[in-house]
Amino acid sequence: MNKPIIQIKDLKKRYDHGKITALNGLNLNIKRGEFVSIMGPSGSGKSTLLNMIGALDTPDSGQIMVNGIDLTVKKDLSQFRSQEIGFVFQMHNLIPNLNVLENVKIPMLEGNLNSKQMENRVMGLLKAVGLEDKIRQTPNKLSGGERQRVAIARALVNHPSIILADEPTGSLDSKTGDIILKLLRNLHEQENVTLVMVTHEPYVAKMADRIVYVLDGRVSKKGEQMLGPV
Amino acid sequence: MSYFSLILKNPFRNKTRNALAIVGIAVGIATIVALGLVTGGLKAATSETLKAGGSDLTVTEANSNFMSGTIDEARVNELSDISGVKNAAGVLRKTPTINNPVKGGFGSFSVNGIPRDKISVVDIDSVEGAMFSSGSKEIILGKTAAESLEKKVGDSINLFGESFTITGIFETGNIMYDGAAFTSLDTLQNITNSQGEVSTIYVQVYDDTNLTELSQNIEATYPNELTASSASALSDRINEGLGIIDSATWAISLLAIFIGGVGVVNTMIMSIYERTREIGVLKAVGWRSRRILGMIMGESIVLTLIAAVVGTVLGILAAEAGLSLLSGKISPAYSLDVFVRGFLVAILVGVLGGIYPAYRASRLPPTEALRYE
Ligand SMILES: Nc1ncnc2c1ncn2[C@@H]1O[C@H](COP(=O)(O)OP(=O)(O)O)[C@@H](O)[C@H]1O
Ligand SMILES: [Mg+2]
Repeated sequence: MNKPIIQIKDLKKRYDHGKITALNGLNLNIKRGEFVSIMGPSGSGKSTLLNMIGALDTPDSGQIMVNGIDLTVKKDLSQFRSQEIGFVFQMHNLIPNLNVLENVKIPMLEGNLNSKQMENRVMGLLKAVGLEDKIRQTPNKLSGGERQRVAIARALVNHPSIILADEPTGSLDSKTGDIILKLLRNLHEQENVTLVMVTHEPYVAKMADRIVYVLDGRVSKKGEQMLGPV
Repeated sequence: MSYFSLILKNPFRNKTRNALAIVGIAVGIATIVALGLVTGGLKAATSETLKAGGSDLTVTEANSNFMSGTIDEARVNELSDISGVKNAAGVLRKTPTINNPVKGGFGSFSVNGIPRDKISVVDIDSVEGAMFSSGSKEIILGKTAAESLEKKVGDSINLFGESFTITGIFETGNIMYDGAAFTSLDTLQNITNSQGEVSTIYVQVYDDTNLTELSQNIEATYPNELTASSASALSDRINEGLGIIDSATWAISLLAIFIGGVGVVNTMIMSIYERTREIGVLKAVGWRSRRILGMIMGESIVLTLIAAVVGTVLGILAAEAGLSLLSGKISPAYSLDVFVRGFLVAILVGVLGGIYPAYRASRLPPTEALRYE
């Protein structure tokens, strides 16, 4: 059980017919239940790394094992995403014509719970993110922070083992961002889920158990020095 | 909310664009439904009319339009003498100018001159009131014509500048006769300057007469002058005409499928283009490609089913309005077939138009979809 939940070895990924190197032999292990924040300059490969962990994309070479599943050989990646991963993006990415309750329910449509069980799970999470009185609102009636709470509830709804958050506070003011961050950290503890979060803000990163610096598609000690001590 | 209700909800997101697509398909479906109802109605009406006719052969001028030629009246007696012929009646058909056109007939109101003793040949056995008498300015009206002209027995009517007394009203069930008037042949010939002319000769034969042989015999005796057609041949000709309308209906259906299909492809492509990020999110939360494919296909079919409902209603209205303008007596033939055809075409358009957009959406690489601005 002490085996890392995420094991990445020499992961490489290029885009645009090999012209752009997004990951250049990246190595990283993350323990079960850990809260890791990922920092690094724009274009260094942070989002690509998260997409690889979440099986939204496949690497050109290298190894990636997530919760015991080898993603380089796994066939049904959508099933993996549905069962193991919860994504929170910088933009909330909610579906505009669905209300809060329905948006959170969307990932459950791949599962086989009955509607009562789904409703219970969704309501529990909406209470946890403090939106129990807004369940019938559509996203355009919500504030930025509220939308991000919905996205967090949606990410957790299928009991994933890992939450991947890509700059979740990037489009919020710092006060709201702080609240969202604390919410994420608390839920990661309550739901006992591994949290990997990309952020640009050093003070945000400090809340994590560990900070990983990515530079030119690799994990870098040099990057740590460049950014200065935190 | 379920997967199914999501599919029902999505077509209402861009109301203007989808309404346009729906109208386009609905017009196609309406055409199919309306043509189906009208041709069905015409078929029913003609078969009834042909059944009601009292004569076995209709002789008209060769190379003339059905009902509009002129024949020498002397031919009537000559035809009576041919073996196998029981009775022959010459009928002169004239179209008077009247103020209010008669609804419910085939074409315009006609006055038919027929010898008083031959009236049974056109299947008028009884009248309400009395029959016209020979050589007089008396006339009998078909029921539809009388209703439409607002005339009753005892009224007079002005035709070809002469005043006629309506002595009776008749009903045969033949929409051609019931929308017309009958008077004495010599009277009509005199006042229209058509002495010695008839338009049509109706021939009744003995039971054992071979109609085809008789027709050929008449046409051979009067080449380039007379054409003889039996009721069944006439019915074949009319059915052939209706068959052409049937093929036209199918051609229009195909056109509707094509145009509607292009409209659906276009609408759905725009829809998935706008929702690129959303499709990326659905993939990120674990939706299988198949579920996304099904969602877009479903939305496409929902769109065309709405169009089918709208189109069916429009088609019924068009058929009712069209037939009541054309002739009050022919009504649309409502049959399940017509509506099933409309819905099948709609579903086909939905499936064909949805395949490509749905496939595109399901194949969208999630990372690219999520990077899409
Ligand atoms: N799907 C893609 N297609 C083409 N290029 C991509 C794609 N994803 C990322 N890249 C490129 O790969 C590099 C790393 O991108 P990314 O992982 O998004 O960086 P970060 O998140 O650290 O800013 C960038 O140069 C980016 O433009
Ligand atoms: Mg990024």
